[in-house]
Amino acid sequence: MIAIIEQGIIIGITGIGVFLTFRILDMPDLTVEGSFGLGGAVTVGLIVLGLNPIMALLIAMILGGLAGLITGLIFRKLNVHVLLAGILVMTMLYSVNIRVMQGPNLPIPITRTENKLTNYEDISGEDPLADLFGDLEQEETQKVAVEESQAPTTQKSAIMNIFDNLRDGSDLFTILSIAGVIILILFVFLKTDLGTVLRGFGSNPEGVEAFGMSRDFISIFGLSLANVLVALSGGMFAMYSGFADVTMGQGMITTGLAMVMVGEIIFGRFKPLFGLIAPIIGGVVYQSILALVMRYGYKIGFRASDMKLLTALFIISVIGFSMIQNPKKKKQLKGKVKSLCSSSKI
Amino acid sequence: MLKLENITVIYNQGQENENMALKDVSLEANKSDFVVIVGSNGAGKTTLLNVILGKLKPTGGQYYLKDKPIKKPSISKMAHLIGRVYQNPDSGVFSNLTIRENLKIASKKGNRGLTFSQIDPKALELLRHLKMGLENRLDTIVGELSGGQKQALAMVMAVITNPEVLLLDEHTASLDPKSARRVMELTKMINEELDVTVMMITHNMDFAESYGNRKVEIKEGVLKEIPERQTTAVYAM
Ligand SMILES: Nc1ncnc2c1ncn2[C@@H]1O[C@H](COP(=O)(O)OP(=O)(O)OP(=O)(O)O)[C@@H](O)[C@H]1O
Ligand SMILES: [Mg+2]
Repeated sequence: MIAIIEQGIIIGITGIGVFLTFRILDMPDLTVEGSFGLGGAVTVGLIVLGLNPIMALLIAMILGGLAGLITGLIFRKLNVHVLLAGILVMTMLYSVNIRVMQGPNLPIPITRTENKLTNYEDISGEDPLADLFGDLEQEETQKVAVEESQAPTTQKSAIMNIFDNLRDGSDLFTILSIAGVIILILFVFLKTDLGTVLRGFGSNPEGVEAFGMSRDFISIFGLSLANVLVALSGGMFAMYSGFADVTMGQGMITTGLAMVMVGEIIFGRFKPLFGLIAPIIGGVVYQSILALVMRYGYKIGFRASDMKLLTALFIISVIGFSMIQNPKKKKQLKGKVKSLCSSSKI
Repeated sequence: MLKLENITVIYNQGQENENMALKDVSLEANKSDFVVIVGSNGAGKTTLLNVILGKLKPTGGQYYLKDKPIKKPSISKMAHLIGRVYQNPDSGVFSNLTIRENLKIASKKGNRGLTFSQIDPKALELLRHLKMGLENRLDTIVGELSGGQKQALAMVMAVITNPEVLLLDEHTASLDPKSARRVMELTKMINEELDVTVMMITHNMDFAESYGNRKVEIKEGVLKEIPERQTTAVYAM
């Protein structure tokens, strides 16, 4: 159970990123699919290189922001539709992530922080590979990992992971603290003058220019900010799982939207902290459902791989229901799509 | 104050659908002028406004604001110099924010960052002047206001920072007669009391007749000044 909450909060941070673009800026950003994996790949890649995991996470966040920045530049400066811009960057990131990991996935070498080993064999008395990478097939990955694990371990023996995976609540504390700090910073930011404009942007993107802000700047800044969060979430997810994988971001946009919508259903019209908490709660609920489906779903013929189908169907039905409840929304939605398209051409 | 010299605008120049929207337009407006701009659909009125806003670079001609030529204006500089209100009441406000937040954004036109600014007291005074009670509803979401209230708020937001010019593009066209009249009175007050040059596009003959000290007509891209009290005649043609 605790693992579900932990994972839920971690991906909930991606939910906040999706919330920023889809809800606050009204700019559907698909970069998420790539920047989540980028966060994971860079974090694990840098840890393998011997960097402190917190530093690794921070660099991953910066690079995530850069991915968002590139999407924003393609969108605003090249006048490409924001959806296509996101797809382009996400596709690029697939290749980039494999390069970063030098393979399709990459594990974190040693996860126990208290083990101050100088040499793996001293403790286990075994070949390090047999234990650590026994069931991994990617040769390339192994090669890198071998080199790493054979390097002098004195420097990198320290902390490899901010999580201990002991499910004793200490990870939960770490995760909650990070999520709390993120929400607090975003909340205060959204209250500043720039943040207020950012919130207004969603309802009137052209209007910001009348008040002296460049539309390009707000779009690009917003996309960067969102992907900083997504990369953080991806990096934490990789550390939590003990590895990064090139497919880890797949379907993340749908998951993110589902988390946002679940949060909205739970909180209704009540939007504490500008609605920033809702995606986190949505994330925990989503993970719980995922866990239930994984555990009991087989009894009625479900497979874990059906989860993406379910998630997408969930989103479609939420949109459908909201239209039945409130026909006016249909008009609004049409207007929004129109304003989105008129600003740029594919 | 504002001076346009031989402004020409050609859309899609050199292409098959080339279109000369403004032909050799010259116009000078002094501080506290209230210029009413009339003309049929597609005459080039909005195009002229976009030139003044610096959004559209004219194909030919010179444009001066406060005696300085405007060549490559920055968004924040133009926002500071020119307020604007358009036909759609949602285009001049941020309807998902509260009145207070809207006024906050408008109060800091042109320079904004990670600061927590306050509403300009002048904005509250203007709001009170509207007699719509908006000053007591600062935490109301703007989306819940009527079109007329939104448009009045948009006017206040457009002039908070004392711009040199206020551009109005059919800003009463989507309002009911009563609200439209109210917004027109507010326009007049802004022009007289804040000493802002107003340039107003309208298709409302009544308003064209009863407001403003100058009238110009644009016809197929050509602008000409109409002497006082002949506006109705122009429209009748
Ligand atoms: N972005 C554009 N590209 C090409 N042509 C344009 C563009 N904007 C306007 N035009 C053309 O320029 C001419 C003048 O248009 P403009 O919008 O200035 O008219 P208007 O006087 O404001 O009309 P209305 O009363 O309908 O608002 C029209 O023929 C129009 O088709
Ligand atoms: Mg027009």
